[in-house]
Amino acid sequence: MSEVPMMDAAGREAEVTSKRDWVPINLDLRDTWFPVAYSADIGERAVRRIVHAQDVYLWRDGGRLYAAEFRPDRLEAMRAGASTFTNGSGFYPAVERYGYIWAWYGNPDNAHEELIPNIPFLPPDGQGIPRYTQRAVRFDAASPLSVENLIDLTHADFLHANAIGDSQSENDVVEVHSTSETVTRIRNVTRKSVAPVMRWIGGVRAQYQDLRAVLHVHLRNNVCISYPNFTPGYPIPNVQPFVPVGKHRSRVDQTNYTVHAPAPFRWLMPRISYVIQPQDNSVLRPQNARYFESTERRDLSSRFDGPGNRYRLLMVRLAERQQRGDFGYGADADPSADISAVLGMRG
Amino acid sequence: MGRWWAVALSEAVQGDKALAVTCEGEQLAVFRDGRGAVFALEDRCPHRRVPLSPGPVKPAGLQCPYHGWTFDGATGLCNDIPNLRRDERVPARYAARVFPASEANGFIHVWRGKGTPAAELPGASYRAAGREHTGSAVANIAFEQYLDVMLDGPECLLSFPSVHITDFFLGDARRDGGHLVLDRGAVWKGKGNGPAFVRDHSLWVRTRVPLTGGDIRVELLSADEDPLVTIFIAASENRRGTTSLVWRGFLHTAPAPLSWRWRMARAIGRAPFAIFPHIDGAAVAALEVAPSRDRRLAKTDASTPAERVVPVQERCAV
Ligand code: FES
Ligand SMILES: [Fe+2]
Repeated sequence: MSEVPMMDAAGREAEVTSKRDWVPINLDLRDTWFPVAYSADIGERAVRRIVHAQDVYLWRDGGRLYAAEFRPDRLEAMRAGASTFTNGSGFYPAVERYGYIWAWYGNPDNAHEELIPNIPFLPPDGQGIPRYTQRAVRFDAASPLSVENLIDLTHADFLHANAIGDSQSENDVVEVHSTSETVTRIRNVTRKSVAPVMRWIGGVRAQYQDLRAVLHVHLRNNVCISYPNFTPGYPIPNVQPFVPVGKHRSRVDQTNYTVHAPAPFRWLMPRISYVIQPQDNSVLRPQNARYFESTERRDLSSRFDGPGNRYRLLMVRLAERQQRGDFGYGADADPSADISAVLGMRG
Repeated sequence: MGRWWAVALSEAVQGDKALAVTCEGEQLAVFRDGRGAVFALEDRCPHRRVPLSPGPVKPAGLQCPYHGWTFDGATGLCNDIPNLRRDERVPARYAARVFPASEANGFIHVWRGKGTPAAELPGASYRAAGREHTGSAVANIAFEQYLDVMLDGPECLLSFPSVHITDFFLGDARRDGGHLVLDRGAVWKGKGNGPAFVRDHSLWVRTRVPLTGGDIRVELLSADEDPLVTIFIAASENRRGTTSLVWRGFLHTAPAPLSWRWRMARAIGRAPFAIFPHIDGAAVAALEVAPSRDRRLAKTDASTPAERVVPVQERCAV
């Protein structure tokens, strides 16, 4: 018998993390693109979205997209109060891609389109993305807590047991890779029991299936790109960008790209958010207030928290770097690089 | 020194569900094992800080709803991290905060603070002798105010059917150990010239309010001092200036002659008292301070310096 091997790589990371504060509400990482809205949601009438407590008004006029600090009718009157986020112009850099409007949060001089994360399974021009794949949900917690929840695998057996099924499998191996800007978690499961939702409406008649699930997280903007691939079955790629509305709430315009799955699963599966979101929120909501301040009572971890602790560590490092005034992307970071190999996409 | 607090009704903690309670502002999860023994853990998982109380009670203890870590009720030790291999063990220091818990006369008590738990439980002084009426609530009033108002104007906090509680105190509050006891006049409604002009009160309401701690006893007495109704109310500080309440009370079986209304009420099982969960702010604000002044003074005298300045952090530590 041995104790949990805390001193493997993940364990050492947990130790390092535990020496630092994990106060996710204080993380305000800049110089990044946030997918603030579905392109299809923005027309001529201005819509207000909020990123890190900063107003972003979106509208179209004469076929052009605008992202501004103020409502169009007040823009002229208020422009003098425009912030450094728009260099005093009132207008944020904004780009449409993958069916989203991406607004720049940070110094506009550093806004380059190459810093928009690559999402290889979505059409870059956003054409043909069905609306049934798009679903907006909200979480009552700081965004990083939601990202932790997504990285975390073992909670599905408890919090989502009814929707996702139990973890009975022959073999379940988790790897984590990272750069200064991303965390990638890869899970390989062989011969797991088929998730109930896939069996009921997904047309998968087999009793067991293999799963390779890759989650690729961009640290600055909490854009989580996920590629779970089931055999037999099909991939259910999805994007979950946890846009921090403020310190305590996040908004997620999800894209569950089920277009390659059979009907009716294709249409119904994105609705699983309505089941999953309240379950996750039931823990996130009380968690939030318990992370307001650094405490002597550090979180305890098991080896299953390796990926999550790596995430915490990298977030803290990035925040420290930004505190020192360094907002640049490291040599190991290239958000727009093609990640289809990372995700393990076939074909 | 710490103290026992009655935090829950015995019957409110059953089966494989834990009960979330708040005592001295701190959230606790109270539950039973298969043999009925009661336990209290801080309602905070040491893994990722989520409340434990929504989780199921398993044979090994209370299981966190988030990742299934399971905590032994007696020691707080984490004895199961699901998904671990058979040859892996949970590190010895992994534990949730545990609070001694004990049960008496229909109340579950939790020991909070330093020292060895005292032998005597607050609920031990209550013994039902008649059909019980019980309840729990979170009242919209701060804890210390609740205790003060129980002396200055209990009619703001509770009622007896057809009884008018007056604010004519019979004497001053007398000290009884760690409590102040005060009698006040009461009359049956709709009889005589009105409460201010009765020659003698037909009823008395006796309130017994603690200087520290939260065990309150309220009695409705006949003119001959025979108890008609006894209520034990356990109060403690909840969050944001509210107060947790749990209570049990009963109508004495062979009290003095009862009005026909009370006989009816007893026949149909109606409670012989009501504890208010919603307190009338205007009525409380209008109360003049009277006997509660003695409580505040006695409290200052009684509290040893050590007791007065124990920081919250230490009070929680067990
Ligand atoms: S938060 Fe309790 S088990 Fe993870
Ligand atoms: Fe989840």
